[in-house]
Amino acid sequence: MSMIEETTGRAEAADDEVERFPGDPDMWLFVVVESLVFTSYFCIYLYSRTQHERAFLEAQSALTMSLGIVDTIVLLTSSWTIACCVQHTNARRYETARWFALATVGLGAVFFVLKVAEWAHLIRDGHTFTSSDFMQHFFFLTSIHAIHLIIGFVVLGVLVRQLSGPHLRAHRTIETCSTYWHTVDLFWVVIFALLYIVR
Amino acid sequence: MKSESGRLRGAKRELWLAWYVTVVFYGMYSVVFFGLSRTQPPGRPWLDPDQTVAWFADRHWGLLIGFGVIFVLGGFSAVALALITHSIRRMSVSPVFAYSYLILYAIAAIPGFMYICVAMTAGVMRPNRAPIAAQWLYDLGFLSFVGTMGVFLIGSLIWMIAVLIDDNRVFPKWFGYLNLVNALTEVVIAPSWIFQRGVLAYNGAIGFWVNVPVFGLYTGVFIYLLRDFIQREDFGTGPLPAPADVWRRARPAVEAVGA
Repeated sequence: MSMIEETTGRAEAADDEVERFPGDPDMWLFVVVESLVFTSYFCIYLYSRTQHERAFLEAQSALTMSLGIVDTIVLLTSSWTIACCVQHTNARRYETARWFALATVGLGAVFFVLKVAEWAHLIRDGHTFTSSDFMQHFFFLTSIHAIHLIIGFVVLGVLVRQLSGPHLRAHRTIETCSTYWHTVDLFWVVIFALLYIVR
Repeated sequence: MKSESGRLRGAKRELWLAWYVTVVFYGMYSVVFFGLSRTQPPGRPWLDPDQTVAWFADRHWGLLIGFGVIFVLGGFSAVALALITHSIRRMSVSPVFAYSYLILYAIAAIPGFMYICVAMTAGVMRPNRAPIAAQWLYDLGFLSFVGTMGVFLIGSLIWMIAVLIDDNRVFPKWFGYLNLVNALTEVVIAPSWIFQRGVLAYNGAIGFWVNVPVFGLYTGVFIYLLRDFIQREDFGTGPLPAPADVWRRARPAVEAVGA
């Protein structure tokens, strides 16, 4: 076997490996780099917290834990619905998959409305972006997550469109959109743990 | 009269010239801003007038020589921008993407790139200037520099969409997603208009130190990918050969040299 054929064979074997990867492998670069960026935000938050522990605890008491829990349940449920959407797509039950995708959009919208309501409530009580170091981190982390969520709505729009037309329905694109949504959910779980639970 | 292959070779040589100019431009940019003028990392936003005068005095010759270099060679940015625009025009997407990108960055170069040079040079030009005027120039320089980050945000999004919907495989799809990462770090600069201190100020841990490695990675990657694009460019209108095909075509020649 010539060297070129051998190389081609290896490349094909590698392609097969890539095929088993959920979604577009290129999207995983986004997941990895964005996770690193968020990890650095979390490290900076934790470092700031160690510097002003008492002040952070006092400011943290303004948050409503139950609202954070509801937010988390809503978003985790949306992760479940999008996973169901992918499963039904793979089983070629496109109409059911589309309903699960729309349910994900609805849950994402509920999360967003709850988040805006929480911000409004905090601002009414005098806790703003500039009122304390903790609130600076709180508003920053929740806002940057909300921006990811808004991009997620665009991604879900692509997913719903894919499921709507019989000639579209690219399974890989649907898995890629789902990967993005799971990443946004994962970031929220860590944000919830750091901002609401860690005392 | 030039043959077709001769014409293509000439056109490719021109692209390579533009690529080397791009490398020189970004290299010069890093050396001047980080090394000579030490305007990056940015100065503290909360300096009082006397501290600002001391800041200028500490960098007197660095600012004059560094920004002198920028005034002479800063126009290279146009070549780098033209090469990126050409690569977007080579995609299967509407020319609107390339023109939007071109216009956006061409306009932004003046406040985002030249204002800081003019303001800082004016700051060191007369050391006896009233400290309050020096502080004003200091703020103008850094705020004009930071204030154009929104341009990078929209520019990255334009490039991202173009890469993701392109069928001519000018750039790999993962570069489209990397554009999104870069765009999201530009959003983080927005709070620096509110905060003079802390992690979100323009010299803060989040406002600057997290963003710079991402931007550095992004810049290095797109310079590399432009090189890859030029290697594959066939001046047609259809899909470019995949990088692996170019590598396979080049390999027998490499093996022959090795033998």
